[in-house]
Amino acid sequence: MAAVTYAEAKPTAPASAEPARRMTLNGWAVVVIFLPPALLLFTVFVFLPIVEAGWYSFFNWNGYGPPEKFIGLKNYGYLFSNPTFIRSLVNNGLIIVFSLLVQLPLALAVAVMVAGRIVGAVWFRMIFFLPYVLAPVAAGLIWHFMFDGDYGVVGAVTTALGAPPYFLLADKTWAFSAVLIVVLWKYFGFHMMLYVAGLQGIDGALLEAAEMDGASAWQRFWHITLPLLGPMIRLSVFFSIIGALQVFDIIVPLTGGGPFETTNTMVSFLYFFGLTRMRIGFSSAVGVVLFIICVTFAFGYQRIVMRDD
Amino acid sequence: MTEAADVIRSPGRRAGGLASIVAFAALVVLAGAVLFPVFATALNGFKDLSEFRTNPFGLPHVWQWSNYWDILTGYRYWQVLGNSLLIAFFTVTLTLVLSAMAAFTFAHLRFFGDRFLMSYIQLGLLFPLATAIVPIFIRIRGLGLLESHWGVILPQVAFSLAMGVLLIRNAFKQLPSELLDAAMMDGCGYFRYFLFITLPLSGPILATVAVISFVESWNGYLLPLIVLNSESRYPWTLGLMAYQGQYMTSWQLVLAFITLTILPAILMFLMAQRWIVAGLTAGAVKS
Amino acid sequence: MKFAQLAFLAACAAALSAPAYAETHVTVLHVSDNAAQKAIWDQIANDYNAEHKGVKVEFKYLENEAFKAKLPTMLQADESRPDLFYSWGGGVMQAQDKAGFLKDVTKDVASWESELAPTAVDAFKVDGKVVGVPFEVGEVAFYYNKKLFEKAGVKAEEIKSWDDFLGAVKKLKAAGITPIVVGAGEKWPMHFYYSYLVTRIGGEHALADAKAGKDGGFKNPTFVEAGKRLQELAALEPFQPGYLSTKHAESSGMFGDGKAAMDLMGQWLLSMQGPNSTSGKGLAEEDIGILSFPVVPGGKGKATDTLGGINGWLVSKSAPPEAIDFLKFFSQQKYAKETAEKAAYIPVVKGSESAFTDPLFKRLADDLSKTTYHQNFFDQDLGPSVGRVVNDVSVAVAAGQMTPEAAAAAIQEAADQQ
Repeated sequence: MAAVTYAEAKPTAPASAEPARRMTLNGWAVVVIFLPPALLLFTVFVFLPIVEAGWYSFFNWNGYGPPEKFIGLKNYGYLFSNPTFIRSLVNNGLIIVFSLLVQLPLALAVAVMVAGRIVGAVWFRMIFFLPYVLAPVAAGLIWHFMFDGDYGVVGAVTTALGAPPYFLLADKTWAFSAVLIVVLWKYFGFHMMLYVAGLQGIDGALLEAAEMDGASAWQRFWHITLPLLGPMIRLSVFFSIIGALQVFDIIVPLTGGGPFETTNTMVSFLYFFGLTRMRIGFSSAVGVVLFIICVTFAFGYQRIVMRDD
Repeated sequence: MTEAADVIRSPGRRAGGLASIVAFAALVVLAGAVLFPVFATALNGFKDLSEFRTNPFGLPHVWQWSNYWDILTGYRYWQVLGNSLLIAFFTVTLTLVLSAMAAFTFAHLRFFGDRFLMSYIQLGLLFPLATAIVPIFIRIRGLGLLESHWGVILPQVAFSLAMGVLLIRNAFKQLPSELLDAAMMDGCGYFRYFLFITLPLSGPILATVAVISFVESWNGYLLPLIVLNSESRYPWTLGLMAYQGQYMTSWQLVLAFITLTILPAILMFLMAQRWIVAGLTAGAVKS
Repeated sequence: MKFAQLAFLAACAAALSAPAYAETHVTVLHVSDNAAQKAIWDQIANDYNAEHKGVKVEFKYLENEAFKAKLPTMLQADESRPDLFYSWGGGVMQAQDKAGFLKDVTKDVASWESELAPTAVDAFKVDGKVVGVPFEVGEVAFYYNKKLFEKAGVKAEEIKSWDDFLGAVKKLKAAGITPIVVGAGEKWPMHFYYSYLVTRIGGEHALADAKAGKDGGFKNPTFVEAGKRLQELAALEPFQPGYLSTKHAESSGMFGDGKAAMDLMGQWLLSMQGPNSTSGKGLAEEDIGILSFPVVPGGKGKATDTLGGINGWLVSKSAPPEAIDFLKFFSQQKYAKETAEKAAYIPVVKGSESAFTDPLFKRLADDLSKTTYHQNFFDQDLGPSVGRVVNDVSVAVAAGQMTPEAAAAAIQEAADQQ
C-alpha cells in the first residue's frame, strides 16, 4: 500500500497536492489553538524588535540613553559608500557560491553513504556533525593556529617542502579562502544531517523493488532517491544561502575581519564597525539592509523554486 | 537494533564489493580530516599555555591532567553545565511543541492568510539576533524577565521557530494525505491525528530539529550575556569568561573547558539518533 | 489570644532584627584578570566590610569584551546597574555621562583628591565635574632584550632621537635579529607607534587641537607627519614575518622567547611575556630594559611626555553614599604602597612610587610621576568609533596600504560622523 502511494508521489505530482479540504469546526479549533502561541512568542521577541531596530537605523546613537540624533537616511549613505561594506557583500556572495558548488554536494554524497547500512554509520554521522557543535570561539581559534605559518599545519607543510613560512591569514588576496575552508568544515555536517533525515523518510521497499528490476545504484539514486529528496534539498539550499548571508561567529576569532578588512561578512561588518564602535544606529542600518536582502531572496526563492513544496 | 531499522530503510541493501570499500575508505579519510581540529582542541587542553602556542598540533610533552581534573572537580563546571542544560531543555521542548503545532496547521489547513502567516514566521530566519539585541533587552526587561532563565529561553525559541516550522511542515507534507482522509472517515479529528499518527511518524525530522535547536541554544552567548547578571545562573558560554582576561587568555583552559562542554551535545546527538531509529521502526510496522 | 500574642512577639522580634539584615550592597564591576591586583582589591573589600558593619562591598568580574558589550544595557536597568565600574576614561566615559548614567561626585572627593596624581584625576572629569576616581596609571615604552642589543652592538642609552632609533633598527637587522615584534593582528598595538609620533611631533595639545577641529582637525600636518615617520620605520622592514596576523599574546610570547629585540607595549607585557613563551618562563627581569619613546627632531613633544592608560572607577548614578566612601578607603596610601611593593600595578596615589622594589616598575612609576604631559590611549580618548579608525589606519600606513594623508583624512571622516 505504502509503496504504491510513494510511487504515485513522484515528482510528476507535487507531494503537497492535497485536496483542498473544507474548513471544519475541528479545523478551526486547530488553527485557534495551535497557531497563537507560536505567533505571539514570535511577534513579541522577533518581529517587534526588528521593527524597533529598523527605527534606530535613522539615528546617530551610541547605545547609551535614548536615541536622540535623528539623521534620516545618512547611515545608509555611509554604508553604501564604505568600501569595506561593499567588500563584505562580495564575500557573502562568495560564500554562497562556494556552499552551493562544494559544500552541499559534499554533504549529500556523505549523507547517502552514512544514512544507510554501513559499519559505524552512527559514528560517522556524529563525527561529521561535530564541527557544527563545536563552539565558534574554539573553532576559530584552532583554525587560526592551523593556518599559522610557523606552528600550524600550513607551517608543517611549508617546512616539509623546504619553503619559507607562509602566513595565509596575513595574505590580503587569499585570506578569505581560509574562511571558506572553515565554513565548509563547520556546516557541511548540518546539511548532511538534513539529508540523512530526508533519506530515512524514503521507503526502502521502493529502492529494493528497483534493484530487483535491475536498476544500478546510480540509476536508483538519480531516478528515485534524488527526486524524493527534492523538497529537502530545496530547503537545504534555502538554509544554506540564508546562513551564508549571516556568517559571523567564526570570523571574529579566525581573522577579525582582516587583513585589511578583506575577510568581513555583512554581520561581522555590523559587529566591528557598528556595535563595537558604539554606532548602534549604523549597525541597525546594516541589519536592515541584510534583512531586505534576505527577505527578497526568501520571497523570490519560495515563489519560484519551492512553489510546489 | 540499528541493523534491523537500517535493513528496512536503507537505500541499498547489499553494498557491492569494491565500490563500498572505496566509499568506506573515503569516509574514513574525511572523518579524520574533520576530526583533526576537534581532536586538537581536546589535546591542547592537556598542555600549558606556552606549549599550546608553540606546539599546537603535537602531543603534549607533559600531560597536564590537572587542567581537565581541576575543571571537573570544580563547582563551577557543574553549575554552568546545569544551567546550560536547563536552558537548552526548555528551549528544545518549547521549540518542538510550538513548531510542530504551527507546522501541522500550515501543512493541512487552508485558511485566509495562511501563506502570509507562514512567511511572517520565516522572518525569524532572516535576521541575526545580534542586530536586535538592544530592543530585545528592553522587551525582556519590560516583561520582568531579566535575570531569569526564561529571558533567555523565550527569545531563543522565538528565533528557532522559523526553521522548526519550515522543516517540520515539509516532513508533515511528505506523509501520504490518504492517511488523513482515511482517519477522518473513521471519525478521528485533527488533534488525535496529530498526536497519534503525525508525530510518531515524524521521528527523524523532530529529532533533527531537536538536535539543531539544542546546539544553537547550547552555544548561545550574546543573549545570556545581556539577560543574566548573577554568576550562579550563567550557562557555560559565560562561565568561560573566568579563563579569559583583558590582555591574556588561558587558552589551554578555555579549550579544555570547551571540550568538556561538547560532551552533553554529543550525548544529545546520540540520543536523538536512537529516537530516529525508534521512529523508523514504528513507521515500518504501521505501513 | 495566645496566637495573637505570639504573633505580636514574632513581629517585634522581626522588627528589632531588621536593621541587622538591611545590608547595603556595593557592587564593583571590573575586567581585571591580574591575580595580584585582584588579591589586593579583595583584601581592601574585606577590610572595609569588617570596619563597616551593614555594608558589603563586592568585586565582580566580567571578561573585557563581554564587559564592553554588556555595559550599555546594564547601566539602563536599575536592577543590574553596578555601583562602581571599571573605566578607561576618554570617549566612552563622556558618552556614559552624557546619557546621565554617572554621578557628579566633585564635592565628595574634594577633600582627598589632592592625594592622587593630578593628571589622573583630570582624566576622570567631564566638563569640569568629577565622575570617577582613578586608581591605576600605565606607560607605554619600548621593552628591549638586553642580550640582543649587546649582540648587535646597540646601546640603549644612546637612543634619544628618532634617527638614533632608526639607526638602532638597522644595526639589529644587520645582525640578523628581528628588531621589533608587534601584534598587528589586533591592530591596537600598532596604534601606539602612531599615537606616540603624534604626541612627540605635535606636543601636548596635538590631540586636543585636532579634536577641536583646529588646523583642519585630524588632517593637520602633525598627523600627516606622524604617518610619514611610521612609514619611514616600516620601510626598514623591522617587524617579524607575518606580523599582520600575529595576535598580541603571540607577540608577547615571541618577545619572551627572545625572537625580537623590542616591543612597544604597556606594562602588562611584563606579566604576559613569561606565560606565553615556549618555556613558560620567558626572559628574566634582569635581561629586560626599558627605553622611552624617542623624540622627533623639530617636534614640540618632550622626552618626558608619556602615553599610557589611566584606569579608574566610575560612580553610577544610583550608587549609595557608601560606595563613594569606599572609594576614599580604597585610595589610601597604605594600600597604594602595598600595590607598589607587590608590583601589582602602578597606583596613582602620590608618593607611592617610592615603595616600588621591582626595578622595571620603579622606572615606569618614576617616569609617570615626573611626566610633563600624560596622554591617555588614543583609542580610549577618542571613543570607540574614531579610536578604532586610528587603529585601522595605523596598521594600513605601516603596511604601505594607505598614504599618511589618506589616513589622517579617514580619522577626520570618522570624527565628523560622530
